[in-house]
Amino acid sequence: MEETKAPEEMKFGEAIAELEGIVASLEGGQLDLEDSLARYERGVALLRACRAKLADAQQKVTMLMGELEEVDAEE
Amino acid sequence: MPEDRALSVTEAMTIARAALEGLTLLHVIGEVSEVTDKPGYKAVYFTLGDGSSVMSCLVWRDAYSASGVVMRPGMLLDVSGSLTVYPPKGRMQFQVRSLSPAGEGVLRMQVAALARALEAEGLMRPDRKRPLPEYPERIGLVTSPRGKAVHDVIRTLRRRYPGAELLIAGVAVEGADAVAAVTAGLKRVAAEGADVVILARGGGSYEDLMPFNSEQVARAVAGCPVPVVTGIGHEPDTTIADMVADRRASTPTAAAEAVASAYSELASHVAHLSQRLARGLLHTTQAAAHRVARVAERPVYRDRTVLLGVRAQQLDAAADVLSRALPLRLERDGSRLAGALGALLRLGSRLGERSSDRLASGAARLEDLSPLAILRRGYAVCYDATGTRVVRSARELARGDRVRVRLNEGRADCTVDTVESEA
Repeated sequence: MEETKAPEEMKFGEAIAELEGIVASLEGGQLDLEDSLARYERGVALLRACRAKLADAQQKVTMLMGELEEVDAEE
Repeated sequence: MPEDRALSVTEAMTIARAALEGLTLLHVIGEVSEVTDKPGYKAVYFTLGDGSSVMSCLVWRDAYSASGVVMRPGMLLDVSGSLTVYPPKGRMQFQVRSLSPAGEGVLRMQVAALARALEAEGLMRPDRKRPLPEYPERIGLVTSPRGKAVHDVIRTLRRRYPGAELLIAGVAVEGADAVAAVTAGLKRVAAEGADVVILARGGGSYEDLMPFNSEQVARAVAGCPVPVVTGIGHEPDTTIADMVADRRASTPTAAAEAVASAYSELASHVAHLSQRLARGLLHTTQAAAHRVARVAERPVYRDRTVLLGVRAQQLDAAADVLSRALPLRLERDGSRLAGALGALLRLGSRLGERSSDRLASGAARLEDLSPLAILRRGYAVCYDATGTRVVRSARELARGDRVRVRLNEGRADCTVDTVESEA
């Protein structure tokens, strides 16, 4: 496999992009069985990482300039 | 005044007209609406208003052209002229002698001129507009730290796309410092590693939006190293920042939505990929299994004799032919040889001493008749390229033909360079 980065260390976008590539290659049906299995395994790891990222997402806000004025709850 | 006599309508209107035209020249500022500017008309008709009153106006085409003003609804116009009456419609109208943009009208003209200049420079070309990153990790936000806009963006991103870090430059978005502050904010969020930048502010008056119409902010937006999305809430006005941005949204919330796909969409995309991954593997394994099955079904694998049967029969047939052909030939040649030898020997016994010489030369001649011996004497046989047909005449050959030449002790494959036919 050309990509060997650990899925947990990848950015969400990178992981999704690689996963999409794997899915497309499996759907293409041009791979031999061993390659398919290896890619599938990689895809599962990427999926797990993507799901974890989505589940753990916590908004982080950083004020670079100025001070945020809180407003009364108006949601 | 002859109070008792009834006037015709025309007479009444004439009196009104005289009264209005007796007034001095009036100088009026109002907002333009309902402009009727048709090529065939001698005058341009429009309405001036101030929110509580309206005034029908006309300006003769000559005066209009001379002013250089292009009237648009909403612009503030400074006009001089006089009131009159148009009897056929019984309507009072203001006849404009001179006109010029006023207030916001001036601003709008300046903005339009800057927009044209930047457009001519190519800053608004569609091919300059960059696609937004699909999954931004860091989202920059340049807006006022006060007011609704900043919270609209924070809330929208928290709801839709909480995974990204939000880098906020809270800057003044109106007033004297706004241009410098917005420019600095854009630079700062890009320097801190934002993948995409939202430039936002809530609605405001046209004058309030002027920082977003400044050349400096426009250039900062265009020069931003990552895509910029504007969410400047003031429909239907479009600021110059909107025009040069990579994407324009109508409000801060819409800008946040443009930057981040919804969490639910992401989750369903991941779920969909998961299904496709499983199906993809299934697809490959099924294809492999199918291939194996298809091969296994072939007669060759079902019945071993199928593979070898035909060949075996061919072999048998060949062996049969050989066994029948070979002995027959040998037998015939052998008996002939024996006959020849017998004749020679008989001859030899008659010729005495020299007979052996004769025999030797006879044998040599016999041998000479063999094609191989002819070759040994320096002759060669020319075949066609396939080596199956003898070339019997130079006329059969052409330049470039491939031929096979059989020589003593071997052969040579040759290409014909020249052909010279004799006779």
